[in-house]
Amino acid sequence: MQQDHVLDIQDLSVEIEGKEILSHLNLTIKSGEIHVIMGPNGTGKSTLTKVIMGDEHYRITNGSIAYDGQDLKTMKVDERARLGIFLGMQMPYEIEGVTNADFMRSAVHAKEKDQFQLFSFIKKMDKIVEQLHMDPEMIHRSINQGFSGGERKKNEILQMYLLHPSLVLLDEIDSGLDVDSLRIVGENVMRYYEENNPGLLLITHYKRLLDYIKPTHVHVMMNGTIVKSGDASLVEEIENDGYEAIAKKFSTSIGTCIIKEMTGHE
Amino acid sequence: MNKLKVVNDKIVSCELDDQLQVKLEEKNDFFDVNSLKILVLGDTDLEIEYESDHECKLDIFVNVKADVHFSLWEFRHGKRTKVQYKYYLDRNSNTMIRRIHHMEGIRELDLFHLNGECAKVDFLLKTISIKPEKYDMVVYHNAPKTTSNIVDHGINLEDGELIFNVTGDIPKGKTGCFLDQKNRIVTYNLEECKISPNLFTSEEDVTANHAAYIGKFKDEDVFYMMSRGIEERDAIRLLMKGFFLSNLELTKEKEEKLISILEDVWR
Repeated sequence: MQQDHVLDIQDLSVEIEGKEILSHLNLTIKSGEIHVIMGPNGTGKSTLTKVIMGDEHYRITNGSIAYDGQDLKTMKVDERARLGIFLGMQMPYEIEGVTNADFMRSAVHAKEKDQFQLFSFIKKMDKIVEQLHMDPEMIHRSINQGFSGGERKKNEILQMYLLHPSLVLLDEIDSGLDVDSLRIVGENVMRYYEENNPGLLLITHYKRLLDYIKPTHVHVMMNGTIVKSGDASLVEEIENDGYEAIAKKFSTSIGTCIIKEMTGHE
Repeated sequence: MNKLKVVNDKIVSCELDDQLQVKLEEKNDFFDVNSLKILVLGDTDLEIEYESDHECKLDIFVNVKADVHFSLWEFRHGKRTKVQYKYYLDRNSNTMIRRIHHMEGIRELDLFHLNGECAKVDFLLKTISIKPEKYDMVVYHNAPKTTSNIVDHGINLEDGELIFNVTGDIPKGKTGCFLDQKNRIVTYNLEECKISPNLFTSEEDVTANHAAYIGKFKDEDVFYMMSRGIEERDAIRLLMKGFFLSNLELTKEKEEKLISILEDVWR
């Protein structure tokens, strides 16, 4: 039986080099929920995923992030990952010399420790590589080096499958994908969701990914906080009216006044 | 593959084909250093292992004849050594050198003389410095259309200090030369590391590039690995392994040997 998990973010404010990026943000994600965050560029969506993962470039100035009641702020990035949190990145890094296979073996070994079995790891990896329509040679190449946009995103999904997280954060996993790759990535994320019941947080600009992944919660983020939440129908509203119109329903302009209005902070 | 083993400043074993002539000239009243002389007559390769159990000096001369392709693999380990290389590369020769160091200090001078038109050298150094190491390398493009690709990679740990002085020289009239040098030091101590790339070109019709980097591995790379559950120290070990072993085209046996050295210095 799968366990239920909860990510709980309360009143979170974050800055980098003195500039506030997230402001009094609240968000709760439970197992089995698919949350989508949409919003204009530069509004803090990617920052949110990195802060949850523990990127030390960002400074938390207020609020809390907890996973299953454990304070994430005191945990290092690798500890959060071993707790079951996975971040699929928008632009996964290229690392020369370190092969995908070596990297993934180290990651799975770090999680499973004495339970790690090389043969079953290889078997599982081969199966997922096939499922994602990846070239098997990629496993033996340096991480993301010379990979196309689609190959990089598939590589992220491969890692997700192997690490078997209970909370999946996907930051613009649809960017740079052609229609076929988008379908493969979308279907495989949904398949993972159906088989494992994780909490899922998607950052996206486009409705097209949501043809494959059906959200239970949709949020609009502006100026570092969530200004509106709803169900899947909110995506249609955004598509039809745009972010500006949504913002106007709450305030006269997109600005910090919205944040204050929505969060109750003066 | 041809093989040579040198302990301190003496040859202790060699297996060579007829494309190679190797001799050791003993130090004498005029020279206080033994000289290892390698003459490459035809396409071939050579693997040299140097071992030093006390501080020593050695001069090495490598002469590659015209139109010859030569591949040299060197592994040097042991006590502090002072070594001087002189390469003489003839017309249309192509020399590839892969050199690995795990020493308790080294002072090295490399002089590459690209004497014949279209001579080419590809040089790759990988070193783990745990004591002071200083390398001076000078590439003389003495003929037109000569090519040099120099790559120096160092991992600086413990009491290591690492200095790469790399100079390329292209005189007037030696047109169509290509010179590229990439030097990188990954350092995890507070000791001095320095890279001095010098490109002296008196000719306009040349291509000359250089890149130099000193520092730790990028935060983003470490973050990416840690975000998959790998502890920071293990993430750095993986990055170190990738950095050190890349482009060496190793056999399984050599790879395992180098991995065990890395494991030893980065526990």
